[in-house]
Amino acid sequence: MEIKVNPGDYIKLKLSKFREIEGTVLESYDKSIVLFKLKSGYNIGISKDNILGYRVVRKFKEKVEDFRIPSGKGKPSIGLVVSGGTIASKLDAKTGGVKPLTDIKEFARFYPKLFEIVNVKKIDVPFMIASESMTSKHWIEIAKSVEKMLNDNDIKGVIVTHGTDSLHYTSAALSFFLRDLNKPVVLTYSQRSIDRASSDAELNLQCAAQFALSDCAEVVLVGHASINDDFCYALLGSKVRKLHSSRRDAFKPVNVKPIAKVWPDKGKVEFLSERRPRNKEKVKLDARFNEKVALVKFYPGQDAEILDFYKKKCRGIVIEVFGLGHVMTEDKGKKWIAKIKKLVKDGFVVCAASQTIYGRLNPKVYSAGRELEEAGVIFLEDMLAETAFVKLGYVMAKTKDKNKIRELMLTNLAGEFNELLSG
Amino acid sequence: MENDYQKVGLKAGLEIHQQIDTSKLFSAAPSYLRSDKPDYVIKRKLHAVAGESGEIDVAVKHEAVLDKEFYYEGYDDTVSLVELDESPPRPINEDALDIALQIALLLNCEIYPVTQVMRKTVIDGSNTSGFQRTVLIAHSGWIETSFGKVGIDSIALEEDSARIIKREKDKVVYRLDRLGIPLIEIASAPVMNAPEQVKEVALKIGEILRACRVKRGIGTIRQDVNVSIKGHGRVEIKGFQEPRMMVKTIELEVERQLNDLKKSKKGGEVRNALPSGETEFLRPLPGKSRMYPETDLALLKISRERINKLKKKLPKLRSDIRDELRKKGLSDEMINLVLSFSELDEFNALIRVYNRDANLIAKMITLWRNEFATKLKKSVDEIKDVLSERVYEKVLERVKSGKLDKSYVREVLLKILEGVSFNEAVKIEKIDDNRIEEEIRKIIKNKPGLRPNAYMGLVMKKFKGKIDARKAMEILKKIVG
Repeated sequence: MEIKVNPGDYIKLKLSKFREIEGTVLESYDKSIVLFKLKSGYNIGISKDNILGYRVVRKFKEKVEDFRIPSGKGKPSIGLVVSGGTIASKLDAKTGGVKPLTDIKEFARFYPKLFEIVNVKKIDVPFMIASESMTSKHWIEIAKSVEKMLNDNDIKGVIVTHGTDSLHYTSAALSFFLRDLNKPVVLTYSQRSIDRASSDAELNLQCAAQFALSDCAEVVLVGHASINDDFCYALLGSKVRKLHSSRRDAFKPVNVKPIAKVWPDKGKVEFLSERRPRNKEKVKLDARFNEKVALVKFYPGQDAEILDFYKKKCRGIVIEVFGLGHVMTEDKGKKWIAKIKKLVKDGFVVCAASQTIYGRLNPKVYSAGRELEEAGVIFLEDMLAETAFVKLGYVMAKTKDKNKIRELMLTNLAGEFNELLSG
Repeated sequence: MENDYQKVGLKAGLEIHQQIDTSKLFSAAPSYLRSDKPDYVIKRKLHAVAGESGEIDVAVKHEAVLDKEFYYEGYDDTVSLVELDESPPRPINEDALDIALQIALLLNCEIYPVTQVMRKTVIDGSNTSGFQRTVLIAHSGWIETSFGKVGIDSIALEEDSARIIKREKDKVVYRLDRLGIPLIEIASAPVMNAPEQVKEVALKIGEILRACRVKRGIGTIRQDVNVSIKGHGRVEIKGFQEPRMMVKTIELEVERQLNDLKKSKKGGEVRNALPSGETEFLRPLPGKSRMYPETDLALLKISRERINKLKKKLPKLRSDIRDELRKKGLSDEMINLVLSFSELDEFNALIRVYNRDANLIAKMITLWRNEFATKLKKSVDEIKDVLSERVYEKVLERVKSGKLDKSYVREVLLKILEGVSFNEAVKIEKIDDNRIEEEIRKIIKNKPGLRPNAYMGLVMKKFKGKIDARKAMEILKKIVG
């Protein structure tokens, strides 16, 4: 039978002559059943085929509770950019699914503490999307919001909340897009949804707020240092990577130490690495990105002709190469060197970053590396492949000059190289 | 107790939590409790949670602020990221679900064909996530008692909580070994109006649970009783060590509630059962817990085929097994032995070989193996290695075919244990009782005045051990008095 009820309605279902059950209708992705919240709080599903009849007892009425965002008046001011992700999603009781928070009032409802410890002077919600769906256009949007906040004299620092999947790409992009940085730009996240008392968002946000007020002018990512709820690390935006699919401490610094340890307590920040100090410069926005770049992972036996595809679609690529900087060079592999040589000659930019994640490329050790180097590949030292991809798009939006591109790719613009990396 | 329970309007219900003997409900971690030193301790905080308040509403509500620190002890090899709240749950443990469904079927319940794993908010730190995963699987069951049928309202399958190791002022230490062990929750209808009935239901449910694969021992089952009389709020009594105490406890609780009413007190609460049958105040009744879906898991569908398959191989209850054994000719004493030695399978296999003396088979697989072990200073397992089910089968085949008198079985087994080959051991001469008596009288006449044991030695020597020693002793005693 056809059942015309809306999620949230309290109904009685007739299942047989003497059997009736009542409860609240929920939205179900399985259209053959009615998903139902019983009085006990449990949800069960009833096949529509088994329903003899029904009666709506109470129609769903949205309760709007008044909520006033706590005021941090008198406290230092920060700017906040909310962009989506788990940290800005909530469970929707009506549907039983996870949905993005709708507005900043709702955000404040979930994180009242943030609004108590600092004065959130300006809030931007440029879009609400999960980070796996973000593109360079979203990085540019965020950079624009952040730049305005950084050039507001009252604002001491900016917090950006973001999904985790592509967070390290965004942090790299902001590292390049915001030049002459004057204050902390702090990206933060959550790996555990905020409906649970154990959510990691609380500590991450509190530490992010402390770091946003600290004496540092870098783009950083602040999040759990370990699986304990005690302190966070501030990690340089160009040298950080998501290295776990679910743990709280998913983000790790790569080829560099954390910038600082950060506690949720007022002003408690312990710097561990050199950083650019807070200053009075005006931040310049240099947010452009050439989308005709790609990131390709080399694997054993890969056909060199794949490069023809990228040549058609792009103007430059970063290849995640083996170990110290190798692709196959023997047998069929001879095609690789020849192909790359030709592409580079034709003006295509080929960069190399290591798929080992940790360590520095060194093309001089084996002939495979030397041959690639001679073919014109730009070896990006200890730069992360993801950062290299972002940087290539950034650099190629600035210039078409081959030599200039090489020079910029090898210039340390945002701490993406660590000259002191040993081992 | 002089009160007429019907008159005071006694209403009692049972809630039983029993651990199921499988790995954890939503992770592959094994589920046993450890007493060795933990490999690590992690520190966590639980935060104020905004969310729906149980009712459907899109508005969020700010709940009580917590600022307690919780410490969790873990082990590298038996605690997974799920227990640490560092990974989404794995799909539900199908074995645990099957066992829970078996129990539900034995309790005559109806199974929900479509149900959903829920998160029940728990903020005392006993769950690293801040919630307990629980799923409702069955309803509308019943159990027969001597007072009539008692309804089983609901059966849920849930995660056990972490266990408390230490509680200090602002700090609680939990261990993660127990967190996530599958727990079946059985709730009876709150309709019982005699303390004896509550005990009977508890015992009956206990019997059904033990017929299925559940954990045994202290702490693996927790039984709560809800008691109220007319005009008084529901009182939940926790911590029963055994159902026998329920009768006295309920009797005393009814008296306590009657006293309450005299003083115009009628609020419900949670009380702790003491060994004396008295109870002590534990805490106020918890509010309705907030439940919302476990968004990391799909809807749980329980197919008709699955239920039918389970129905075909439902474990037998002990009471049913007893009836069957009795029908096969076992005495009650022997039934107890077979059950307590957990040798039911062997018994059923052997009775198919020879079904004319169930008690003999029962002795062979229980008492005798033990006696032989003591006598030969060996372990029962070592005896079992020699006197295996296969050897027993061969011996019983001989008895069945009439080649071996059943009174000689014990002798044969002892010989096999002494290293005599099977074929040699079963070659026992059938010696007529008259001949034995004749020989014994001869021996006594030749060597008068010896002790019976000395005569026995001589008799056995005479017959080269090929007679039933017990029978020889009987005859000997008859003669020497």
